[in-house]
Amino acid sequence: MTLAHKTPVTPLDDAFTPEGGKQLPAPLKSLRDIRSKAITGMALPNRRTENWKYSSRYLKLDPELAPQTQATGDADYRSVEGVYRLVIRNGVVDLDSSSLPSANGVDIRRFADLDDVAAQSVAKKLDTTLDHGTTQLAALNAARLEDGVLVRLSADTSVDKPVYIQYVTDAGASGSNYPRLMVEAGQGSKMTLVEEYISNGDQPVLVDSVSELLLDDSANITYIRLCMDPANVRHIGATGVRVGANARFDSHCIGFGGDLRRHDLQVRLEGQGGYTRLNGIALTQDRQHYDNHTAIDHVVPNCDSDENYRCLAADRSHAIFNGRIHIHPDAQQSHADMNNKNLLLSTNAEIDTKPELEIYADDVTCAHGATVGQLDEGSLFYLTSRGIDRDTAATMLSMAFVHELVGQVPLEDIREAVNTRLTDFIEASFRRAAE
Amino acid sequence: MLTIKNLHASVEGTPILKGINLEIKPGEVHAVMGPNGSGKSTLAQVLVGHEAFEVTDGEILFDGQNLLELEVEERALAGLFLAFQYPVEIPGVSNLQFLRTAVNTLRKHRGQDELDAPGFMKMAKEKAKQVDLSPDFLKRGVNEGFSGGEKKRNEIMQMLLMEPRLGILDETDSGLDIDALKTIAAGVNTMRADDRSFLVVTHYQRLLNHIVPDVVHVLAGGQIIKTGDKQLAMELEEHGYGWLGINEAEAAG
Repeated sequence: MTLAHKTPVTPLDDAFTPEGGKQLPAPLKSLRDIRSKAITGMALPNRRTENWKYSSRYLKLDPELAPQTQATGDADYRSVEGVYRLVIRNGVVDLDSSSLPSANGVDIRRFADLDDVAAQSVAKKLDTTLDHGTTQLAALNAARLEDGVLVRLSADTSVDKPVYIQYVTDAGASGSNYPRLMVEAGQGSKMTLVEEYISNGDQPVLVDSVSELLLDDSANITYIRLCMDPANVRHIGATGVRVGANARFDSHCIGFGGDLRRHDLQVRLEGQGGYTRLNGIALTQDRQHYDNHTAIDHVVPNCDSDENYRCLAADRSHAIFNGRIHIHPDAQQSHADMNNKNLLLSTNAEIDTKPELEIYADDVTCAHGATVGQLDEGSLFYLTSRGIDRDTAATMLSMAFVHELVGQVPLEDIREAVNTRLTDFIEASFRRAAE
Repeated sequence: MLTIKNLHASVEGTPILKGINLEIKPGEVHAVMGPNGSGKSTLAQVLVGHEAFEVTDGEILFDGQNLLELEVEERALAGLFLAFQYPVEIPGVSNLQFLRTAVNTLRKHRGQDELDAPGFMKMAKEKAKQVDLSPDFLKRGVNEGFSGGEKKRNEIMQMLLMEPRLGILDETDSGLDIDALKTIAAGVNTMRADDRSFLVVTHYQRLLNHIVPDVVHVLAGGQIIKTGDKQLAMELEEHGYGWLGINEAEAAG
């Protein structure tokens, strides 16, 4: 037996809790100040912190990362057709670059533009979707709030085009930003929401984002999260969702690895007849990292959840999936299905997968499966025997592994773009491995 | 076109092929017959470069090139095609995407223009029709959920698309009813040409009623023990492998 050494505790550097948030309305500014005080000097998660076991070693919050990122060039706001677009640059809403819906029933507003009453209401709801014990770094987001966006859908409003949020990070100089989104979907409302993180520049930067979605009864939200920016962007993100009765939340989270990538997705099924489907794809290569932590809480009876995450890890990269399903004592007739399949594309890559089931009701079905495999040699042989080179064949088989999930991305333009970007990413990885 | 000299091959240290000599000239159809375990399928797999088989001696020349120095995909580009006995299922890769990638790789190699999606679709539909396979199969995953017969038709359709110099059929007749057998044979026969050859590996003679061979070899115990014309296949059918003094149980050894 070895002696248990005390793991050194690293406190959050004071550089991360400066004054700020001057443009926020008073209730939010005061919330920011309280949060900022609360986390000053907080101990950062380390390898003894269960939910950061595999990722704390990538969590290097050097003081250079602390300043707010600033515009360092012309941001490339890749144009997307057929959507309402909202640009958030370096954590601050850029209305000039946005094209927002003007229809009745949809209200998209900067936190800075909220009156005190509305701001008070937002402040009350802020962070109520997340389990604070497991989203330690979301607290830093609240403490560093500069701006935020409130999307409010009135009852029975159906948004005719997807709302596409581009989070732009300027990485010409080192720094960090803290975007914040709050969605309140009224009864029976419907919307497709896309969050895309993009960046320019190659300096190390940190994005610490929090998105919260409150789905009233019978609301229907499809959520697509694209976190495919270059490896120099460290990203800690949390998405918290509360699902009302007969409401539906569909999620498609697609990400590439980076120096640090962490996404916590927490969904609470709080009204009977609620449903959620969580799909996820994470690809890592080189020495990249990606850590997906999901949690589904079945709080009330008669809710269903389907979860399907797939990771592919190449080279010396590291992918993590942790899926928690919590069925509360009253949640009889819950049906939960969780599936995590992983593909190791190199013997030096690492994938850690952990299903966590906590079931406190007896009349439920809860299925889970996790596998880690490699590319099938028989399939590779078959493809190469038709003249296809090995890298192309391996790329085709890797894409086949995520084909089903890509196919479920609901918007054709986005689906096609995702397909192309995933293919390019995998191809690059095989090309590099061959060199 | 193909010259095999004193070919020895083993799998996990166990010798399977023990000195094969074979010469296929352009335009010829050769049949390799033999009992189970005689090494027929191994010969087919070694020709296309399956990694599980180690060539321990001998050489294979294909159009003058040393085949053993070529990678699997290079052999295909050189004009070799194997219709697999057990084609793998690859869910998630559409048959169409797979075939178009293969055909365009080949066309590029031959200095031809690559086909765009509609152009390829038209060609693939024609070939599918030739082997009586519904075009719906093009949209499905490669061999995914295909019946045994559909897989074999898919193999022959691929061969029609890829127009190889040497087509190798590994027990393509197994598990086929007579109508399917005739369709597949007809597909192969349309491809017969002066500069294209075939190596037909089969346990039974019945396929050879429809794809009539120029030369028939009998393989047993990893060696060719008899070579003749199509008459040899008929005699084997009539008398069984015992007629050549082959004990089927020992043939595998």
